[in-house]
Formats: sequence, C-alpha cells, structure tokens
Amino acid sequence: MEFFQDLVTTLNFILQGLWVTIGVTIVALVVGLVFGVVTAMLRVYGNAFFQRIATVYSVIVRAVPVIVIIFILYFVIARFVNLSPFWAGSLALGFASGAYQTEIFRGAFQSVPSGQMVAARAIGMSRWQAIQSIIFPQAVRLALPGWGNEATLVLKDSTLVFVVGVPEILRRAQQVSARTLEPFVAYAAALLLYLALTLLTTQLLQWLERRYRLQM
Amino acid sequence: MTTAPILRIEDVYKSFGETRVLNGFSLTIQPQEVVVLVGPSGSGKSTLLRCINLLHPPTSGRIWLEEQEITAPGVNQDKVRQRIGMVFQEFNLFTHLTALGNVMIGLTKVRKMHKQEAHDLAMFELERVGLVERAHHYPAQLSGGQKQRVAIARALGMDPHIMLFDEPTSALDPELTGEVLEVMQQLAKEGMTMIVVSHEMGFARQVASRVVFMEGGIVVEEGPPAQMFEQPVHERTRAFLRKITDLDEGGQ
Amino acid sequence: MKKLGWLLSTLLIVLLALSACTAVPQAAAPAAGGEAAGGETASGETAAPAAEGGKLAEIKAAGKIVVGTSADYAPYESIDENGNFVGFDMDLIRAIGEKLGVEVEIVDMPFDSLIAAVQQGKIDAVIAAMQATAERDQQVDFTIPYRMTKDAFVAAGDSTLVIEKPEDAAGKRIGAQTGTVQEGWIQKNLVDAGLTPADMVFSYERADQAALDVANGRIELLLMDAEPSIALAEETGLKILLITELTAEGGKSIAIPDGATDLKAELDRIIQELIDDGTVQKIQEANGLP
Repeated sequence: MEFFQDLVTTLNFILQGLWVTIGVTIVALVVGLVFGVVTAMLRVYGNAFFQRIATVYSVIVRAVPVIVIIFILYFVIARFVNLSPFWAGSLALGFASGAYQTEIFRGAFQSVPSGQMVAARAIGMSRWQAIQSIIFPQAVRLALPGWGNEATLVLKDSTLVFVVGVPEILRRAQQVSARTLEPFVAYAAALLLYLALTLLTTQLLQWLERRYRLQM
Repeated sequence: MTTAPILRIEDVYKSFGETRVLNGFSLTIQPQEVVVLVGPSGSGKSTLLRCINLLHPPTSGRIWLEEQEITAPGVNQDKVRQRIGMVFQEFNLFTHLTALGNVMIGLTKVRKMHKQEAHDLAMFELERVGLVERAHHYPAQLSGGQKQRVAIARALGMDPHIMLFDEPTSALDPELTGEVLEVMQQLAKEGMTMIVVSHEMGFARQVASRVVFMEGGIVVEEGPPAQMFEQPVHERTRAFLRKITDLDEGGQ
Repeated sequence: MKKLGWLLSTLLIVLLALSACTAVPQAAAPAAGGEAAGGETASGETAAPAAEGGKLAEIKAAGKIVVGTSADYAPYESIDENGNFVGFDMDLIRAIGEKLGVEVEIVDMPFDSLIAAVQQGKIDAVIAAMQATAERDQQVDFTIPYRMTKDAFVAAGDSTLVIEKPEDAAGKRIGAQTGTVQEGWIQKNLVDAGLTPADMVFSYERADQAALDVANGRIELLLMDAEPSIALAEETGLKILLITELTAEGGKSIAIPDGATDLKAELDRIIQELIDDGTVQKIQEANGLP
C-alpha cells in the first residue's frame, strides 16, 4: 500500500512532464512529417538536383545522433534565431525524424503501382495533380504501419530534449529518484506513463490503418 | 469522304534506347470510325496508343488531333489527353477510390466541376456501363469485367473525342469479356471514334469499320473486316489472322 | 488482442486522470514553482551572448538572473515534491539575487550541458556545486569559492576496507561522477600512477546511481563530494570511510560567461559579504551541511 501511495505521489509530480513529452512528440512528428513527405517527393519525383539534396539530407541526418542535432540547434542555431529550449529540442527531433520519415514515404511512393500514375495522366491530370490526388493518398495509407513505428520511436526519443533543459517525463523521474533515492518507484511511474502513451499511439494508428486500409 | 479526319498519324518513329518500336507508322482516322489494330506481340500496337495520347511522345513524326498538331512543341499535353480517352489492359483503377470516386476525380480535379455536378455526371456514366448499383464499391470489391467497365466510364467522363482501348479484355476471364465488349459495341453505335487493340475477332467482324494489321512498327495491310478476314493480300496477314482465328474458334 | 490493448490504455489513462485529480489541491501551489522549474518558459529569451563587460547591466535591465543547475544533487540542489528547487545552492543564489536586486529564475539541465549553456548565453550563471577546474576555467569565468571542498570515500555498510589516506584506494573498484574533480583525481593519482587498472574505474552520470552500485557490490568505493555523501550514505545504508581535503581542490564557485568582469566583481563582493555576515553559515546549517 505504501508503494502505491508513493507511486501516486510520484505520478503527480511526473505528470507535469507528461504535457511536455506530448508536446515535444507532436511537434517533432508534425515537423518530421512535413520534412519527410516533401523530401520523399523530391527524391522520387524531383529532378536530379533536388534528388541529390534530398538524399544528402536523409543520409547525413540519419548518420548523426539526434542528441548532436539538438545541441547544434540549441547552442549554435539558436544564437541567431530566438528559440526556447522546448522549440529547439522539438524542432531538432522533428528534423531528425524527417530523415527517417523520408525513407518511409519514399518506400510508400515507390510501392504505388506505376499504372496509377499512367492512368491519372491519361485522364488529363498534370504530374503534380496526379501525385497530389492519386499517388499521395495511396502512399499515405501504405506508409501508415512504418509511420506508426516511427511515432513510437519519436515518443521515446523525446527524452533527449532534456539535455537542453526541457523537463519531460524521464527527467522528472530522475529528479524524484535523486530526491527519494527510490529509483524503482520513480522509474516505474515513468514506465507507466510511457506505456500508456505508446499503447494509445499504437491503438490510434491501428484504428487509422483499419479505417483507411487500401484494398489492392 | 469529305469530312476532315479526326486523327492523322504521319511517319511516326518511336525508339526506347536502342530498340526501335515504331518505324514510320502512318494512319488516318475519320470521325466515328472503329479501327481494330491487330498484330503479333511486339509489333508496336500498345506503343502506338501511348504515342497518340503522348504518354510516350514520338521520337519523330507528327500527329494531328482534329485541327491541332499535338506533337508540335509547346502543346499542353494535359489538355490533349483530356480529349483522348484511354482504357488499359490492367484497368488501372485508382485503388483508394470507389467506382464513383474513380469517375468523379477527373471531373472535379481536371474539368473543375462542382461536386454535385460531377456526382451526377459520374452516375450517368456509370449507368451507361450498367454499374450504378456498384457505385460505392471499391475496385477490390469488383469483378474484372466490372473494373474494366468502370475504367471505361472514367474515360467517358472526360468527354473524349476519341477512345483508345489497349487490349481491354485480355486480362479477363473468358466469361467476363462479353460484358465489356457489349459496352464497347454500344459506344460504337453511339458514334464514338475508337482505336481498339484486340484479338477479339468476333468484335472486329461485327463492329470494326477497318482492321489494321501491323508488324515491325508499320502498317502491313488494312481494310474492311470482310476483306481482311476473307481475302487478305499479304501472306503474313493471312498467316497471322489464320492463327488467331483458329485460336478464337478453338476456344469456344 | 486489439480489445485488450484498448482496455489497457484506457485503464491507464483513467488511472492517470484520477491521480491528476487528487493532485489538484497541491498542484495549485507548485504551479508557480513548476513554471520556474520548467525552464522552457523564458530561458530562451536570454539567447544573446554576453556582451563584453555589459552582463551585469544586462541582468539588471532584465530584472532577473537566469541560473542553471542540475537538480539531482542533494543537499546542494534538488527538486522537492511540489516542484520547487531546494538546497544549499538554491538558498544561496536566492540570497545573492536579493542583494543584486533582481529576480532569480532557475533552470534545470544535465550537469554536462551547463557549461555550454552559460557559454552560449542561454543562462547567465551556473550554481551546481561546481568547482573551478582549469579545464572549465578556459571556457567560462568563476567567482571566488562560496564553500571549500572536502571529498568522501564511501563504501558498503558491511565493507571491511580501511582507507586512511586517499592512496589506500589503490587497486579497488572505484566509481565517481562523470566529469567531476573526483573522477579527475582518480585518473591522475590512481590510474595514471599505475596503482589501479583503468577497467576498475567506473563513471556515473549521477551520484545516486553510483551509490546503488556500491550498495549492490558492483564497486567497492565511491569518491564524491563529502557533503552530499552524508545524506546519501545515511539513506542507502553506506558508510563513509574517510573525509579528506587531499583529493579535493578549491571550492564551489558560480560559473559565469567568460569575460563578464563586471558580473564577477559584483558576485565576488556579494559572496564575500554573505560569508562575512554569517549568511552562508546559516544556509549551510539549514541544509544539514557541516
């Protein structure tokens, strides 16, 4: 019973970090989605110049640890642009996630059968119209499983933003652990929160997948 | 005949890398004609259709659609394709859209119609191919014959001046070809100009105004179906037609 | 399987919502403290690098000083269950803020990020039981020490080791916090001197993690700051074998941006004043420091 009392007290404290974690994750996912879709489109449909830029972005960013990107954004870029730690951390995570989402969407774009593009052009759609209203909606559906996986990875990577002082769930758990010297309770509380978030994300994405499944 | 031709193909060459597929192909088609294009595989039939609607622009040569030279530089190819309906062997229906959605999307996105107007026209086109009751089915829920009829409705929705059919029944089980050929026959009766790549000889005999035999990227022989089937001039034509006619009858 | 997933996540969310509701009466109070602890609020606004010599004026103009700490080092700095920064350093910096006539905003960061943050002007100063090592001194400036340092050798409660002088630790599995003076001392005086093989030295991100490893026998000794070691040893059942100044150098200082001479002069003056009038002593006792 005392354990549960401690757990509830700890949860109350850590819960304040929940919104930070959710905020960081959502911002990072949305930023990464924009980067990922645009870069994937450039890689698959762009001219040689854009293809090269997009490839360089996705290869380099995937090779660099996320934490380094966070440091660069907060300690270097944010000297010139006024970025709060929250935004620097979230944008850095989004930038990194964008590189992975590029690969997810690139694969999705490429697995839309080529006949779809041909048929779209045949009824007089421009290339861009065809990408927009025929290829993209199908690619998004094909990308959903991989994207869901990436979403849970970003959720876990959101712990990294603490290095620039954003107090998310894990840091709050560390603070509790340092104060009470009862790491088990502190990290159990954090674990519960992450578990809840991950389950919820997974459920949501599975629902989306079922709802928008492509019938091939 | 005094009417102006609807389509004029003049000395068209098409190569893919080293491989030359069309070798100075020429053909003129009058409005309301139904031309059935036959020839051995690799003779360039499908490539010709894709050259006509500029999906694969010719390497050289010129094509006129009505008064416009569509191979001229600076031509808006998207606009040209709106006037040319195309039906594919593999249907190529948009998998994420219902039958209705497949017909509507060109109307709203390309012809810029309002939703309601597009809906009504799409339903009309589905009715033409006898699929109103399947309007809200996804492609995966349709039979091959139904898919191909939706594809025809999708092409018709763009109000094309000419329709190209690229082996529209070859991917279908034999018992499903009839419903598609029926729709095509109805179209021909309504006066649609059509170029059909097909080995359905029954259809050619009944519906075609002309049969064109091509091989090696050029026209070998052409004429009304009766003449082509009964007394072809060229030995090659004779050999080829005998082969597919045998197959056709053997299959029944 | 799907149903189970929904059930579980719904259950957890309800549980969380309930615990959040019971938290409301307390949450009202910490909201203000939580905000300050947040650090995501305003610290970004101090992004401009320190103007040469103008740092003090800058702080006074802003009406507040943004101070970074790593709040996992009781009794110097930690966060209480209401989300407030507490400890010796925290009390001291608030006293200093009062003398400066500005508000104090405290930002929590990992210890390793603090130097970079002050260097890049993300924060105005660091107070984190930090010592002015030569390495750090190259990157930032330090005030005079506000407290001289002693180190402690900590061992398991049932340990039979006898440590009378620091060198007695030779050949033992020993741990220290990453990047600390203690770690440096071990490297220089035990490893480099050939007394202890490098693979018997363990680095920890935080002292409490090291303490756990002492307790479960993974390491035999932990070398750390003497003061926090007392509370740590008490709570985890460890014992202190030796308290010594020999491994320690200097004392704890506040780090400020390199070249902020006016700020340094003012802080030095205030610190000396607080030492002289007994305030530092009082704060030490209030936080259980010897």
